[in-house]
Amino acid sequence: MRFNEKELISLSRQPSERAAELGMRGPKKGDGTVVVKKKLVKLVVNFLFYFRTDEEEPQGALLLEQCRVEREDSLVFSIAFLDEAERKYLFECDSQEQCQEWVDSIIKASYEFMRKNLIFYRTEIHRLTGKDPLEQYGIEDETRFQVTSGLQPVQKDN
Amino acid sequence: MKIHEKILTHYLSCTSPVDKEGYLYKKKERTSSYQRRWFVLKANLLFYQERPADRHLLGVIVLEGCAIQHCESEGGLFAFSVVFRGSGLKTYRLAAENQLGQECWVKALLTASHCYLALLVRDLGKQYEAEAKRQAGPGESSQHSSVTGQSSEGLTQSMVSLNSCSSSFFMSVPVRTEGGNHRGSHVLQAPPMPSKVTSKRSPKLWPKRNAHVTPINGPVSAYGEWPQVDIDPLEDFTKLHEYYGEEVKQLRAEWLKRRQEGENYLEKDLIDLSEH
Repeated sequence: MRFNEKELISLSRQPSERAAELGMRGPKKGDGTVVVKKKLVKLVVNFLFYFRTDEEEPQGALLLEQCRVEREDSLVFSIAFLDEAERKYLFECDSQEQCQEWVDSIIKASYEFMRKNLIFYRTEIHRLTGKDPLEQYGIEDETRFQVTSGLQPVQKDN
Repeated sequence: MKIHEKILTHYLSCTSPVDKEGYLYKKKERTSSYQRRWFVLKANLLFYQERPADRHLLGVIVLEGCAIQHCESEGGLFAFSVVFRGSGLKTYRLAAENQLGQECWVKALLTASHCYLALLVRDLGKQYEAEAKRQAGPGESSQHSSVTGQSSEGLTQSMVSLNSCSSSFFMSVPVRTEGGNHRGSHVLQAPPMPSKVTSKRSPKLWPKRNAHVTPINGPVSAYGEWPQVDIDPLEDFTKLHEYYGEEVKQLRAEWLKRRQEGENYLEKDLIDLSEH
């Protein structure tokens, strides 16, 4: 599958609120051991980039949608993608606070999470004021902001 | 760089909403020929494949750090570009079969970025809190103007920072301006001078309500700071909002009318049942 790699790499270089060296756990080896490698992990929009130490270009990018973020223990959080129930990405932090901050940030970074919030605010503001707050921006008809959007798939070609 | 394709393909096929889909023409990079592809826009991701039923995805375009531009019509197609800012970065040339399709896609792509949504949510969050606060204390009418002043400030400041947001819109064809009078209806003009902006009060005065408002439950979960992406502001923000202004409402009304006529026409072709 093709993707705009250069542009995504450029995105990974943008300043981000949350970037730190975390221990990324590799898959379990045959003998049961797990290798933890220190990576620079960077949260930019709804992507989690991870870099090998001292490398300019990210090693990989994880789209933070349709995933479950959990505290595994005091210092470790995991991201599990709902497609591959087996594959959980585990990250080791330096402190409990850091761990919790990462969990919170990743959850809030999801586009779908933000969309739900938008729909909540739109609905509430409309309820409180009788006015649709998106009208002032001329985007009230956009499919992506519709009240039903957060709940179910929308029909084609709106 | 590894992009973990399975995560992307799963997101595409899952039940979260599709923001737009349809056929568009995509120009091949080397040649100048257009290829018809089925595009699916979800969040800030534009997927494309040969046909809607295909399981095989040809590719995806991550829509961050790009501008959407109208282009000259080519070969009867209504073209537009997705232009990524930065040296050595790509421009995707796309085209729709008709002008309505072009306008709808352009608008959908303009509002697609994560950055844009983040700012919009922040704005609405402020509006919501200001409104909730206001309604919690109906007797405090003296605070009314300061609250709206705050919310309009917050609005304009947030929308000024939209200037640094990834999506923007350049008109190569001049916009049909009606003496610029549509500016006045919006607080969100974001002129370059911040002092000018903050002196404006919101033109929208919320009607007073009784305070029988149910306790305010927060949104999905309490939110603190949104992740921010700082991208160099290069776009003319006022142009973006001119596009989103009254002008567009009129155009859209026309499109919808034309579209309805077009849909009726299509239905007549496809469906033999008599209409009620």
